[in-house]
Amino acid sequence: MRRGLLTLLVIVALAALAGAPTAQPAPIKVGLAAAVSGGSAASGEAIKRGLQIAIDEVNARGGLLGGRKLELVVRDDEGNPQKGVTIARELVERERVAAVFGGLHTTVALAQVPVWHELATPYVGTWAAGTNITRNGKKPNFVFRVSANDDEVDKFLVRYAAERLKRGRPGLLLENTAWGQSNEAGLTKWFGERSVKAVGIEKFNWNDPDMSPQLLRLKQGGADVVMLVANAPEGAQVVKSKAKVGWDVPIVSHWGISGGRFAELTGELSEGVVFVQTYSFFGKQNARGEAVLKALRDRYGVKGPEDVTAPVGTANAYDALHLVALAIEQAKSTDGAKVRDALEELKAEYAGLIKTYKHPFTSEQHDALTERDYIMVVWKGGKIVPVQ
Amino acid sequence: MLVQLAVSGLALGSMYGLVALGYHMTWATSRTLNFSQGHVVMVGAVVAYAAHVAGGWPLAAAVAVTLLAAAAFGLVVERIAVRPFFRAGSPVWLLATIALGIIVENVAMLAFGKDARAFPSALALKPVFVLGAGVYPQELLLPVVGVALMGATQLFYHRTFYGRQLKAVAWDSEAAGLMGIDVPRAVAVSYALSSVLAGVAGLLLAPLLNVSPTMGTLIGLKAFAVAIIGGLTSAAGIVVAGFLYGLVEALVAGYVSTGAREIVGFAVVIAMLIVRPWGLGGARPARRV
Repeated sequence: MRRGLLTLLVIVALAALAGAPTAQPAPIKVGLAAAVSGGSAASGEAIKRGLQIAIDEVNARGGLLGGRKLELVVRDDEGNPQKGVTIARELVERERVAAVFGGLHTTVALAQVPVWHELATPYVGTWAAGTNITRNGKKPNFVFRVSANDDEVDKFLVRYAAERLKRGRPGLLLENTAWGQSNEAGLTKWFGERSVKAVGIEKFNWNDPDMSPQLLRLKQGGADVVMLVANAPEGAQVVKSKAKVGWDVPIVSHWGISGGRFAELTGELSEGVVFVQTYSFFGKQNARGEAVLKALRDRYGVKGPEDVTAPVGTANAYDALHLVALAIEQAKSTDGAKVRDALEELKAEYAGLIKTYKHPFTSEQHDALTERDYIMVVWKGGKIVPVQ
Repeated sequence: MLVQLAVSGLALGSMYGLVALGYHMTWATSRTLNFSQGHVVMVGAVVAYAAHVAGGWPLAAAVAVTLLAAAAFGLVVERIAVRPFFRAGSPVWLLATIALGIIVENVAMLAFGKDARAFPSALALKPVFVLGAGVYPQELLLPVVGVALMGATQLFYHRTFYGRQLKAVAWDSEAAGLMGIDVPRAVAVSYALSSVLAGVAGLLLAPLLNVSPTMGTLIGLKAFAVAIIGGLTSAAGIVVAGFLYGLVEALVAGYVSTGAREIVGFAVVIAMLIVRPWGLGGARPARRV
């Protein structure tokens, strides 16, 4: 009898122990599909940091849907569209993520669009700026973005050149890729709205050693501002060749030159080149900016704003995660279609890092950030500081 | 504008010529080419970067290490990508040298990273103005060193005992072998020298182009075009063709369009192969019956 009671007690205790984990509700998984290896690894890491900091904040508040914690699942797209499609399926079908965040490459993001649609999973881009990623013609559209959009960037750059710099004879200098092409269309369109025609459109290839022919042609054409669409290495060659041909003209640039090592490659020649960003950790920060900087310092050893690599990735991802968290709460579900609907009809106002989001997405507008939210920054002493 | 384009074009042209001369050297001794010549340019720049910028060595030491590394790479290419196939009379060396170049590029990506890095040089900081055209002093250095090296290789071939041996191999390797010249060694030496020229080009270009694993590919390709136009058997033809190629490239980019540049350059190569396959400076090969 005594022995039986003991056995019973043990069984009860074991059952309680075994049951303990189930008392904790299952976590909600969210995915990151981005390049976390190779030449663009810094962008993937920056996005991951932004997401993780925001996830920790949500979890510290007690998680979502009555105590379910968020959990990040990272998959590497290697900057390769085919790989991007494979990991998109893997994240949804095997890992059962509620939503996926995207990385730097427009080509990868475009290849994934049909997958999100087919698997009814909301996707929020945090970097790639290709116009057609969000304006993809799908109904309902599962693709959202908290980042720049080439078309909006072009509008912003044109406005800056025309209104701030008061220039009316732009010369376009673009990399000879799909990205350059999409911006050629955008810049031409928005200059056209102001009845301004580019005096010249010049292209260059990756690794081109000397940009002076292109610059000379623009100079001969009478350009009074150069609109630049380039990544860091080629942007650096442009700046160096410009000094060589002795042409004093302002350069207004897309954000490609913020990656890589533009300041290192150009030295003091980078001084005064302006370009677009969605956010800057320099200058006075709002409460979220302070919190994110503190988290970056405590967790990743980031010393200060000048030490934040690829800052737009972290900032965009941070806000994107909080918006998705709000949508999951509002949908009261992790069902992809319901979360998607909630994103389009988000009721809660979110005072975020980049701005305060009020109804950030509609059925027509899937970019939470538009040219009104972008900021112009300038290279000063090798650092990126906001234009006053 | 003309002067500006000409200066830039001639500076780059001298480097095409220097790298192309490397093609000529190995072709002369062995009728084989190192198709990863462009990658040797990159190796030169990356090694110099590692020693001088990252390692903080004095420039002279870094230059010495770079030249040694380039020569060693040339020997490796000859030993594992050329000699085994060359002996068997198989043209597989062509693919093997390309494969080795790709391997080196990927090793550089792993060890060095994909980002372009700056190679600081006092000669590439501020442009100086010559006849109203801006030019970095480094760009003026290119043709000076280039022409000097081209001259030095000619002196080596014509005035030194070992150089003459190499020339004899180039003339008739079988007869040279019978005369007691170590032909395999002569071929290996020509590969080492050819790589040193490319390494020097990398060293000189690093401050202008920035250092990255992919920096040499296009230069290697254009140098090959130059070697074809100048004539693989003619050092003088290659030197002239290098300058011409650089000049025409710059003028086409400046006056026609930057998009037309590569089209014109490589169209000339094809035209040359049809009309005068032995090149500007090469002698029409005698037909052996």
